[in-house]
Amino acid sequence: MPGMILRLEATIARVLLATMVGLVFFAGVLRWFGLPLVWAMDVAQLLFVWTSFLGADMAMRKRSLIAVDLFVRWLPPRWRAPIDLVTGCVILAFLVAMGVLGYDLVTLNLEREFGDSGISYGFVTAAVPVGCGMLAITLAGQIWQTARSLFAEPRLVFSDPRSGEEPSL
Amino acid sequence: MTSAMLLLIVLFFGLMMLGAPVAFAIGISGFSFFAISAVMPASIGVQQVASASQSFPLLAVPFFVLAGHMMNKTGITKRLIRCSEVLVSWMAGGMAQVCIVLSTLMGGVSGSAVADAAMEARILGPDLIRNGYSKGFTCATIAVCSLITATIPPSLGLILYGFVGGVSIGKLFLAGIVPGLLMMAALMFTVWLISRKRGYRSATAERPTWRAMRVAINDAKWALLFPVALLVAIRGGLFTPSEVGAFAVVYAVVVGVLLHRELTWKAAMDALLEGAIDNGLIVLIIMFSGMVGYAIIFEQAPQAIASAMLGLSHNPLVMLGMIVVFLLIAGCFVEATVLVLLLTPIFLPIVRQLGVDEVHFGIIMMTMVTFGGMTPPVGVAMFTVCGLLDCSVDDYLVEALPLIATVLALVAALILFPGLSLFLPNLLM
Repeated sequence: MPGMILRLEATIARVLLATMVGLVFFAGVLRWFGLPLVWAMDVAQLLFVWTSFLGADMAMRKRSLIAVDLFVRWLPPRWRAPIDLVTGCVILAFLVAMGVLGYDLVTLNLEREFGDSGISYGFVTAAVPVGCGMLAITLAGQIWQTARSLFAEPRLVFSDPRSGEEPSL
Repeated sequence: MTSAMLLLIVLFFGLMMLGAPVAFAIGISGFSFFAISAVMPASIGVQQVASASQSFPLLAVPFFVLAGHMMNKTGITKRLIRCSEVLVSWMAGGMAQVCIVLSTLMGGVSGSAVADAAMEARILGPDLIRNGYSKGFTCATIAVCSLITATIPPSLGLILYGFVGGVSIGKLFLAGIVPGLLMMAALMFTVWLISRKRGYRSATAERPTWRAMRVAINDAKWALLFPVALLVAIRGGLFTPSEVGAFAVVYAVVVGVLLHRELTWKAAMDALLEGAIDNGLIVLIIMFSGMVGYAIIFEQAPQAIASAMLGLSHNPLVMLGMIVVFLLIAGCFVEATVLVLLLTPIFLPIVRQLGVDEVHFGIIMMTMVTFGGMTPPVGVAMFTVCGLLDCSVDDYLVEALPLIATVLALVAALILFPGLSLFLPNLLM
């Protein structure tokens, strides 16, 4: 069951990204022929915020979000895991707060139109609570894993020493 | 400084030091400003996160990231490696020279220094070490030279700088070409000196024939033509950088499917997934930085810092020198994306006031910010290469010093002679 959800998430992210490319590409070509396609740009931007949160959630699941581990790098996992648990819980609280506040904001934003396309800005804002909610679920799972392994062979929350570290950008 | 600002700074650095992902360190510190503010409802903070993503130039980020991944699946990398080998492997330190030329050529395809460094460390690194190049020298060459990638168009860093500072991305791309090529030449010279002294040779000691060079270049022509096509498209003013980014993806697919016939459906799907993930981890930082950006503007921090810095000197050269030293130090501790997002709105008005060209400043700023990734203690490119090739940071640093000195000398030259970066954009735009 969880495997299916993960595959679905990856598929949606691929489809959204490919659609963005297609929309902007065709809008660019049409604009060149003097036929501006304003709604395509607006939709591409709407898809962008959703694609980004989906991608961020998958990056988080891979434990490959960019982190600076200057001071904790040399600590043994036995010490690092409890620190990770504390920061993890702080981040979890932040994500939940963003989710709850974001939900209120969406209800306020539903009326507001976005660009010239007549799409409700609520669809853009909704990406924040939904995205933060997904990140929170992923993080909660990782915190749980670390907490369970704390007294045996602790697993870190934010990085995975077993896979070669290779952040992008 | 107000207490809200102080809390923000303490939270940001505190969380980063504890190893929290940069995106959350910047998100939580920005959120704290809204959470404790009496006048500012916290939901404004959430609104900032959403609106930070709603900028059309920003779409260039996922597109160029995806184009880079797509190109890699079309056999372009392999062809560029062969091309670089034919061109320079006969020189002293030939295999290291190949890494430098490859960074330059790859710079025209991918916009990310770290991705380039990781690829070279995996594909070329083991060969160099097997052929007697020291581990530290190999890692230093690969990591420091990946800096060239960041100035040759398309460059993700320049896109971000243009996005934050409201500077023409087309002009920035053009301005990056000459500095990128100069950096290649300067680093090749330094590597040549070191290699000659140590007797690093390469397998093919003979110069390539014109024919061999022509064949290799012809084989890689679709990759070599890409940055040229990109600049023509942006320069004409016909297309925006985001549209060009979408064209780049289509170009990669067309080359992969019709011309090289190497791009499979599965590889394209992999590229889409890798592109979505890489875009997610970059854009998450950008979105969460929206709250800090709002707080900084609200507290009028740019004005305060500007008046403090202008109090020290009004000489543009002295000011640029101070900024470069600051970025060199800051780049050692803070990640590049964050530096661009937070410092561009602060520094750009200062140098503008002193009559420094914003495009010229962009090239210098991006070079320095990306350079932070190649230096200890916090260098993403450095850790990636040293991790992949199992090299200690000490060995790396010793061998990297001459290369670091070369880069700094080049940055000094770029500051003293703005024409080096501004020549092409002034001529063509």
